[in-house]
Amino acid sequence: MNLSYREQSIWGSLAITLIVYGYYFATVFSGAQPSQIDRTALARLIGAVFVIVVIEIAYHILIALKSKVEPKDERDILIETKAYRNSYLLLVADLFMLMGTVVVFGLTPLLTVNLMLLSVVISEIVKYLTQLFFYRRGI
Amino acid sequence: MTKSRIRNNIRKLRFHCSEMTQQQLAEKVGVTRQTIIAIEGDKYSPSLEVAFRIACVFAVPLEEVFQYESADPEARE
Repeated sequence: MNLSYREQSIWGSLAITLIVYGYYFATVFSGAQPSQIDRTALARLIGAVFVIVVIEIAYHILIALKSKVEPKDERDILIETKAYRNSYLLLVADLFMLMGTVVVFGLTPLLTVNLMLLSVVISEIVKYLTQLFFYRRGI
Repeated sequence: MTKSRIRNNIRKLRFHCSEMTQQQLAEKVGVTRQTIIAIEGDKYSPSLEVAFRIACVFAVPLEEVFQYESADPEARE
């Protein structure tokens, strides 16, 4: 399958997000939940974000060397706009559900922060999947 | 719901225009090669501006490049 630079970029970002945040959330939700945001939890969170940024930069340099980088055109922008719409709607729904959960169950600050991050990650994944869908199926 | 489609003759026009490649057309129009592929395959309907730019590259009227095909029988008459 011959993929354009933009599709390679999206596939890569999707894989990196799934692997790094998958590992992060598996680690976070597998152990006992501390009630407060301690140094370990903060270091883990910042570490995950740092690792994502470093791998993303390295990956994009690699594919830029291998494929021709083309500026976004109207189709790319249209697809991106639709992807952001889906992502935004899901994020808003997620955050409202999270607000209700916090009020009803009285979640700890650390768990609340992690669930908020999970909402952001899920909406990001939906954005990538929407883009891949429209690039393949057409728009 | 009325289903409509926009057909195009870009592949044929490219062939008659010294076998212009998709990449060459993309560069002349100012879009990516992927977008030209999508337009040719009826997977993307371009904006009016891009449609006019494509017609300008081949130096033909717009309706020679794109044709509107409506599923509504009344619209065809």
